[in-house]
Formats: sequence, structure tokens, C-alpha cells
Amino acid sequence: MKVTIKINGKVQSVEIEPGEMLLETLRRLGYKGVKHACSTASCGACSVQIDGKPVLSCTTFTAAVDGHEVMTIEGFSDENSLSDIQKALIEEGGSQCGFCIPGLVVTSEALLRENPNPTRQEVIDYLKGNLCRCTGYESQTLAILKVAKERQSK
Amino acid sequence: MKTLIQEKLNVVNTSIEKVDGKALVRGKPVFTDDFDLPNTLTVKILRSPHAHAIIKSIDTSKAMIEGVACILTYKDVPHVIYTRAGQGYPEPSPYDTFVLDRKVRYVGDGVAIIAAENQSIAEKAMKLIKVDYEILPSILDYEHAMDKDAPIIHDELEISGAYDPKRNIAAHYEMEIGNVEEELKKCDYVVDETYHTPNQSHAMMEPHGAISYFDPNGRLTVISSTQVPFHARRIIKRIFGVNCRVIKPRIGGGFGGKQALHVEPYVVAVTLKTGKPAKCIYSREETMTASNTRHAMRFRARAGAMKDGTLVALELWGLSNTGAYGEHALTVFMVGGSKTLPLYNKVKAVKFGGDVVYSNTEPAGAFRGYGAPQGMFPIDSILDELAYKIGMDPIEFKLKNSIREGETSPIFKIMGEGREGVDQIINSCKIEECAVNGAKKFGWYEKRKRPRIDPERQIAHGYGVAFAMQGSSIPAIDMGGATIKMNDDGTFNLLVGATDLGTGSDTILAQIAAEVLHTKVEKIIVYSSDTDMTPFDKGAYASSTTYVSGNAVKKAAERMKVEILKAASEIMNKPTHTLELDEDSVVSEDGDTLSFGDLQTKLFYTFNQRQLEVTESFVSEVAPPPYLVSFAEVEIDLGSGKVRVVDFLNYVDCGVPINPVLAKGQVEGASAQGIGMALFEDHMMDKNGRLITDDFFNYKIPARGDIGSIKVRFARSYEPTGPFGAKSVSEIGLDTPGPAIANAIFDAVGIRMRKLPIKSEDLFFEIKKKGL
Amino acid sequence: MLNVKAYLKPDTVQSAYEMGQIPGSLYVSGGLMVAQLKISNVERIVDLKSVGLTHIEDHSDVFKIGANVKISDLISNPYLANLNGDLLKNSIKEIGSTQIRNMATLGGSIAFKLGWSDIITIFMILDSNLEIYDGEFSKISLQEYVKKSPKGVIITEIEVPKSGGIAVFEKFAKSNFDIATLNLGLKVVLDGQIVKDACVVVGSRPMVSQRIKEVEEFLIGKQLNGITKDACDLMERVVQVGSDIRASAEYRKALSRFLLDKALRRV
Repeated sequence: MKVTIKINGKVQSVEIEPGEMLLETLRRLGYKGVKHACSTASCGACSVQIDGKPVLSCTTFTAAVDGHEVMTIEGFSDENSLSDIQKALIEEGGSQCGFCIPGLVVTSEALLRENPNPTRQEVIDYLKGNLCRCTGYESQTLAILKVAKERQSK
Repeated sequence: MKTLIQEKLNVVNTSIEKVDGKALVRGKPVFTDDFDLPNTLTVKILRSPHAHAIIKSIDTSKAMIEGVACILTYKDVPHVIYTRAGQGYPEPSPYDTFVLDRKVRYVGDGVAIIAAENQSIAEKAMKLIKVDYEILPSILDYEHAMDKDAPIIHDELEISGAYDPKRNIAAHYEMEIGNVEEELKKCDYVVDETYHTPNQSHAMMEPHGAISYFDPNGRLTVISSTQVPFHARRIIKRIFGVNCRVIKPRIGGGFGGKQALHVEPYVVAVTLKTGKPAKCIYSREETMTASNTRHAMRFRARAGAMKDGTLVALELWGLSNTGAYGEHALTVFMVGGSKTLPLYNKVKAVKFGGDVVYSNTEPAGAFRGYGAPQGMFPIDSILDELAYKIGMDPIEFKLKNSIREGETSPIFKIMGEGREGVDQIINSCKIEECAVNGAKKFGWYEKRKRPRIDPERQIAHGYGVAFAMQGSSIPAIDMGGATIKMNDDGTFNLLVGATDLGTGSDTILAQIAAEVLHTKVEKIIVYSSDTDMTPFDKGAYASSTTYVSGNAVKKAAERMKVEILKAASEIMNKPTHTLELDEDSVVSEDGDTLSFGDLQTKLFYTFNQRQLEVTESFVSEVAPPPYLVSFAEVEIDLGSGKVRVVDFLNYVDCGVPINPVLAKGQVEGASAQGIGMALFEDHMMDKNGRLITDDFFNYKIPARGDIGSIKVRFARSYEPTGPFGAKSVSEIGLDTPGPAIANAIFDAVGIRMRKLPIKSEDLFFEIKKKGL
Repeated sequence: MLNVKAYLKPDTVQSAYEMGQIPGSLYVSGGLMVAQLKISNVERIVDLKSVGLTHIEDHSDVFKIGANVKISDLISNPYLANLNGDLLKNSIKEIGSTQIRNMATLGGSIAFKLGWSDIITIFMILDSNLEIYDGEFSKISLQEYVKKSPKGVIITEIEVPKSGGIAVFEKFAKSNFDIATLNLGLKVVLDGQIVKDACVVVGSRPMVSQRIKEVEEFLIGKQLNGITKDACDLMERVVQVGSDIRASAEYRKALSRFLLDKALRRV
């Protein structure tokens, strides 16, 4: 079947299988930043935004996204610059192996849009579905709080 | 962050951003699964549903549906025995594994390799394979592996290197210094208890995966998510008799789980059979059930001390579960003693030994800490128990008996990695600073004056401390190489076999090279781990990269410096002793400068033409241990037994941290994994031996918010044999959470939990029994 | 990827129902359950989201919530969020994760009658009724719905009465990001100091949520002060629980006591 999805601002018409998951479609289309790590909606590595809201692409049927807008990690920075969240994650040591980072960035962008000045606890609560095995989370929390502060002072 | 050091440094000891950081946070296609080659076959593995069985017959004829390229069974792959363990050669692990065998030894063991045009076809074909099994009695509880009537798991004729396979013993070790039995009799206080540490899944976010293909010239090439590309190449050659190139792209975490060959033989078998590219990416369930787990261990520990707090004798006698295959069986077990016991070097007698047994469970393997967490849990716990018996503060007791600079332990010589070790005098040991400053920072003495139980809120608080050491490399075995090539734009290629798996080793190695060459990290272009392109390196394990590969890079950079000065002396016509390196240039005493770019340009085109390139290797004669003292504050809900780690402070001596932010990240991450092992992570099997906790839904690694704050402080330390004073830092953080948390729980409620993970359910019933 | 032949997007509840009657059909709304059910013989997926049902209507005595309202949107209506002492506002964040709440729908969270559903416990305390369609529309209480197993029906609307009283939700889980080992809901309507009405629900037993009538009856007519211990003793005696990989029945009994104690302190 055919669906039309706006991916990172670009409208695309895509031929899909009826039982296909958004994660599979996106990776097939070359959005390799969307990561496959669990298939049980338990880790957040595959997070993308649909109509601005973070969801899990591993358990979202592509067919259900017809006519909607998807943002993947590839949509949050370009070749020349990093987003402030990406920059802060590097600076604070919040990215080690990097496998969970695309999902984390996509979710954090939504967090700071919905709640520009979150408390530490609110950051933790919002991002609890994004597992990381490398960092112990502390550096990531600090990075997000730092960005919130920077954006506030702008 | 910056810590005090003894040399004036420009690049080392600063928190340079990770050299691969930008690509990773952008989600660039850098991982194994991100590589798409045209006409690649998807490879799936049919796995055994039985814990122990013989394949009586296997019929693939109905499964050869359209789109299936090949289905391989044990009849179709080389019958060559090997070990999946990625270790130096010859491996200390037994050869007891085939790519596919007629016998399956755990639920998840490989039965057939299916290669098809896509995943749906491969999965459909898998269901059409008919296998007739003869089910054998199995051993699911490793504590019964040596029972009289236990089935023999490895009865294959080809097995070699296992200690006593007829009794299911993969490895055995024992050593004694002095006479523990006699010394214990003389002690004022003796504790004799049994401790258990669990299986633990690595749960790296990136599942295992590999791709194989013939390059245009017909050279077999394997892209693999591996920590050990050079060992992988060697083992593939052993199995298939084929030379190949192994490329390690970015790795999404390994923690020891990728220090073994999991997927490579499957894809190579398919490519050799079909000539086509083959890709196999494990599902999370396969990663959890059919790769490796931490060796579960049981230790009976005995320790004795005098009234004045002198530790006299220490003994660990253990049983380790290596699962269906003996990967890292002997070495992980030995590290349980060799990287823990020297910490208490003042004892009169010490004994360590036991058996590593086979069982019909997932094979155990390397996992961050590599036995030291399993050994440290009983050692630190029993010392804590002794301290309470004596009535001494545990910090004081542990500190009084621990090793110091200038001292040694006979264990260094006696216990190595699967063989004898090497003597070493400790050049750097700041454990006293770690303990004393850590206690101050944590507020140890003030906190321990507080009441522990709040009866109104039904909450208890407790404070625990644990000490640890580790090693830096496997001395006299581990070798790392580094090549540095100078370019005419003033940059350098740094080619290393060292395997960055997320740790940041590419970055710290670039820092070391930049420091020596008086340039910036941006000018060092790192390329790591490609067996056709980079020099050999043993791989990322045994806390060796900073120390061994770092020393190799330093050596190479120093030789490059000599080469640069020599060439500059020729070009500038000045004696080398009047020349120095400074900011990407050669500078002479009289003020002339020649930039690196100009120098190599001249060498390329106009003057004494040559490429400046050097390769150096490093093997260490010693393995200087890092040290760590960790402090844990726990909060316990008396009504549910739930334990929350409120505060976890690590005071660590890792020598000079090459990159403080990355070093801190290593300790924080290891602490989190250690807290997972202590409180959260648990392998549960059904009665047939199938792992139930086989995904992130049921196997809970600590989530955000599960851990209070983890803090890291560095002691001012300098290791003279390390590159710029550095020692290792990646593993040690996993050694302390288990005992620190168990000790804190005892401090809170007076209950000694001697089995990890400490489940809220178990603690709750203990609390109830005590009537709290 | 699910190996299905068709992904259907019906316009109306009626046509969705008809599609669902064909063997091999699976209703999805949020889609999350696909990860949970080890589906093998599904041939077509019927996406209920396409029929709409995303309303939250504030009527004089009830809230009417469309079955396709996302969990995260439940608190978008402040009056609903604040009902019974901020029950939804306080408890929704305990469910799943941000992403899961953005995907899961109210109807989907109820339809599968999963034991560990926090939503069922929460909406059972609220005395909710369901509007279902099985060829015709009818009403059934949530409590009845989870007891019975009406097959192939579609939940279209959830009706939450605006009753008085204060309600709290408590969840015990191994990890911050895990399903409940046990969850508990408590609602009390007070007349001065005296409990006029009470509703106590325990879920993730691991069986589906259940009202604990004995404890409710015990609470009614009593002063809240000083009855906690007796209520908890009773709870531990009467609650029906089982064992699974997360906990033994015995431990779940203890947790029911622990959570009731916490809940009573909160109200």
C-alpha cells in the first residue's frame, strides 16, 4: 500500500507493506539514526516525533502514520551545526556509545518545547522511557538542564 | 575538570570532546546495522527450544521456498572445534564449540542458519524446518553440575582444554599462600559465610550483528560489532580456513559481551556458501538468550582477624557457572581472586580456588569487571562483617589491611590470566586518600551518627563502604600497536587496532598523540580497528586500552617526533638538539620555524623524498591496579523492602585521567551497571531452561530515576609506567556497588544480604522476620 | 513487521465491527499491544483510530471520553484531570513512559484486560462505565467488562461519573520504568470524619484489577483516623493474588497492605 508522510519537513510518498512498522520504513528510507534495540516498547532508542510528540517507531504501524508529520534525529541538525542539546550531550559526556542518543535527543526536544524550564525530576520523569546502558544517566540529565537554562536566558 | 598532575600538559588531562561525538549525536549511519550492501542476504538462526538434546534428524527440504538462498545445518559447516572467546592465542578457554553441532546444549543454541532475500522469507522458512530431537536430561542449576548422576554436557571427542568434562568441570584452579586453616585457629574473630552473585546480561543498547561479503577483489570482509577484530579474524581462519578482513565500525556498547564471536561465523558460512553478502542482526531476545552473560558464582568465604583489627587470613572457595560453553571460564574465575585479593596484601595466609562448571544455560563470558565483581562481593562483605564483629569502623578496618605504594603481593606472581602472573611493585596507590577524602566528602562519620530507622515514615537509611582494585591490562600477554603517518596538510593519521566501543578510546589515544606531537586533537585523524589497515591490538578488554594501547601510541608519537626533528634538521640545516616541537611546527633555538605541513610537503615533492610513518608496539610487564573506594547511602521502605540508592560516591585512583569527563563517564556507567547487578537485574528461567527475562520488558536494567546521584572524584595520582601517568578506569566501578549496597543495607536494618541481586521481596521477608 | 495482508481504516464503528468479525482480524488503536501479543495468525489489522472517538466531553454529571483518546491527552482537560482530588493528574505520569502515553489509547488500555493495566485500576476507582459496540451500542460497567470476556466488541466511549470524594492511585514497581508488581486505587467519600462511601481496587495481582469489597465495607461508616492497621490486616487477608516472575503471591499480599497504608495516609 502507499502512504504519504512528511519526514523532516519533506513530503514523501512511500510504498509499504501493510504490517510494516515505522522503524522499518524509516530505516529503509535511509533514516539510520532511528535505532532498533528492543521491539518491546521498552527502551526508547527508536523514538521519533509524530506531529511533534515523541513516540516509539518500533511499535507504530507505518500505515497509521499516513498523512502525518514525522521528525527523526536527522531533522534536528544539519551537516554544519549541532543542536544545543546535541552539543550539551557531548560536552557533559552524556553520549558514550551513542546508540541511545538519537532517541534521547528527539524526546528531549519535545520535553523542552512542552516544558521549557523543567526541574531535575521533570527531566527524569519525561525521559524515563529512554534507556542508556553506558552513562548512568547523570551526565545526560545535566546536559538537558543546561540547555534549558541556556534557552531561558536567550 | 582538571586534576593535578606532575607534568605540564596541553592536551592530556583535559576534557576534549569525543572525536566521534558529533557523528554519534547526529545519528549518522556508523553502526553495523546501518550498512546496506546491494543483494545482501538476511541471515536468521533457528535455535534449540531444548536445554539439552541430540538432533536425530533435520529436514530442510520444505523450507527451501522461493527467496531462500541456503539453509545450513551441522552437516554443512566445517566440523572444527574452537572457542568463541576472543582472547590472546593460544586461548586459555577450552575448545568446546562448533559453529553448529549435532548436539544442542542450551535453549537458544544454534540449530540451522537460514539465508534469504529478506527477513519475512527467512522467518517463514525457519518455521518449515523439521527437527526431530532426542531430549536429554539437563542441568539447569549449576550448583548440581557435579552431582553423581548429572548428564555429561560435553561428551564430544574433539574437546580440548577443559579440566574434566566427564564431570562437567570446564576449569579448576587453586592456590594457597601460608596455611589458612592454621591461621584461622589463631584468630580472635572468624567469619565463614557463603555468597552468591548472579548471571547478568550486558544489555548493550546495540544488539550483536555482523555483515560479510567478498570485496571486488574476492577478499572476504566482515563488518562486525566486535570488541576483538583481530581475534575474530584469527578464529574465522581457524574455523573456515579463510583469510579475511575484519572491520569494526562504531560499536553501540559492549561491556565484554562483544569479546566473543557470536554472529561472525554464521554470516561467513553463508557468504562462503553463496558468494553473496550476508547480514545478521540479532534481535534483543537473541542478544539476551544466545550470546553471553556474566558468570554466576557462589563463594564460600572465610576470614579471620585479631582484636586490634589485623586481618590474618582470607579464603575464597568458589563455584562458577560457565553455562553451555567454557568461554573465559578459567580466566574470569581467576580474576575473581587475582584482581581482588592483592588489595589485602598483609594477610598471613590466603587461599583461592574452586571449579568452573558447565550447565545447560546460556554460555557465560566476559563482562566488565571480569570476575572481580564476583570476587569483591564476598571479600568486601566478609571484611565488613568482621569489622562489625571486632567493633571497628569498616573504613578503618579495610584501610588498615590494604596495600600501599611501594608494596607488593605474592599473588601478582602466582595468579595471572589462566597461567602464572608477573611480579610487580605498586608504584601508585592512593587508596588512603580515596578512603579519607571520600569519607569526608560523603559525610560518613556524621551520617553514621544519625538514627537509621524512621518508625513514623517506615523508612530506614543506611551507609556502606566498599573498596576495590582492578588491573590495567594482562601483563606479558596483551599487545597493542599504533601507526602514525604524517600528512602534507599538517595532520597525522593515527591508526590503531584498539577498539573504541563507546568508551572514548579513539579520543584519549588522539590526546596522547597530540600531546607528544605538540598539536591539537583536531589534527589527529584516528582510524581504529580494521585488520587490513591498522596495526594489531588485542582489543578492548581487561582495562587495557588506556594503558597498553595508550603506551603504544605514546611510543609511536615519540618516535614520530624523532623522525620529524631529523627531517627538519636536514631541511633547516640545523642540528636536531637545537630544534623543538611547538604548536604544529618545528622551532629552532634561533627562532626559525618550519610548520608540519611544510615539512611533509617538502618531503613529498622536493627534498629527501619520503613518507614519515612509524609503527610501535607495546606490551606491559606489569598491570598497575587502579583503586576505588565507594560510599553508598540507601533508603529502604520497611513495608515493601524496596531499596533505593540515594547517593553513591566513587573516589577513584586511576592515575592521571587522560580525559576527565570520559573517565568520569566510565565510572558512572560502571556504577550504574553495578547497581543493576546489586538490585535490579535477574535471570529467570522456566522449568525447561528457557530464559523468561529475555527482553527489556522483563529484564530491568536501571532506568532513569532508579538511581539517585552517582558522583565521581579523582585522587591525585600518577602512575609512572602509564602514558602520562594514567592507569585504567573502565571496569573498576563495577566492583563496589554490590558490596557497598549490601553493607549499607546491613547498616540500615542489621540484615546481611549475601545473595545478589538483593530483591525487595527477599529483603522484605527478612525485615519482617526481624520484626522491624 | 507483522506478516498481514491488509491494514484497514474503517470510517465508522459499524464498519470497523464488521471488518473485525472476519477471522484473522486484529483491532489496534495505539498499536503498542503488538509488542506484547506474540501474534501469529493475524491476517488483517483494523485500525480503530480512523473512526475518530477522540473527544473529552464535560456533561453535567459525567465526563464522556472517546476510546481513542491518548493517555497523555487525558489530562488535557483540566476538569477531568482534577477530578476526585487530582487523581488523573497525579497518576497518569506513573503509567509507562512519555512515548507510551503518547501512543496508548484509553480504549486500548482497557480492551486487552491486561492484569498489569494501571488504567483499569484507575478508571475502576472512578466507577467508570463503558460504551461498547457489538452490532449495537450498549453500556457495561468497567468492573463487569473485565470480569466477562465479550469477544470482538469495540469499546467506543468511557463514561466517568462526577462523584465526590478523594481518590488516590499507588503503584509498586521494581524499576521506575516497569509495569506494576501491584497497583492499588482508593476512593473515599467523607461525611465529616466518617467514611460515607469507599472504593478499593487492586490490580496487577498479577490478574486483572478487582474491587476489594470486604475492605470497602470495612471502611464505610468509620472514621479514617486509627483504622489503617485494621484495614491493612483485612486487605492482606482477603486480597486474591498470584505469583509470576515479578513477585510471589505472599509478597503481593504484603504489597497490598503496603500500598493501602500509603493510600490511606494520602487521603
